[in-house]
Amino acid sequence: MSKYSVNQTVLREEKYLVEALKEMGYETEVHPEGAPLNSYYSEQEAKVANIIIRRDQLRGAYGDVGFVRQPDAQFGVIKDELDEYRGYGARWLGRVQQLYKEKQTLAMARTKGYTLKNREVIETSQGEQVRLQFVARR
Amino acid sequence: MQEKTITITIDERGNSTLDLEGFAGHGCEKVFDDFRGGDIVKVERKKPAYYTGQQIEREKSRR
Repeated sequence: MSKYSVNQTVLREEKYLVEALKEMGYETEVHPEGAPLNSYYSEQEAKVANIIIRRDQLRGAYGDVGFVRQPDAQFGVIKDELDEYRGYGARWLGRVQQLYKEKQTLAMARTKGYTLKNREVIETSQGEQVRLQFVARR
Repeated sequence: MQEKTITITIDERGNSTLDLEGFAGHGCEKVFDDFRGGDIVKVERKKPAYYTGQQIEREKSRR
């Protein structure tokens, strides 16, 4: 045994974010310069995002959900406040982060020469956990 | 020689844990950097073997 850490996933890489959303069944629009989100109330201020899931793919949602590149290079989620309570709140975002982190980890491990030994999905009282085990060649 | 393994557990709340087995001393740091991917570190702990490994490295350097 040697070292252990707990980390908070930060969404930084567009590629893995788009792949994660695709795995959740969404077709995303990618706008490097940003594009406006549609909201339920037309008088609401138009928000701009770089990655957009349109409302017609979001069952029960009032508006589009987007991810915007922030000055610190992280992606932040923007959506109608009411959609927080319609299935697109913290739990939904946590699932996005989980898929993002798995895709990022697998790609990074391939690049750096680590070998995937095992992948398992564990059911816990707090939801599914994905466990990836790698072996270092060095 | 003990196999060097890296176990990453990713939950549905945006957290992941990174657990290294069989590494000692500075070998840990590179693997941590490789797998962190720009994430925010909330908790980090060194396990006993980490210090044991450092002690061995220090003893080697004294010789």
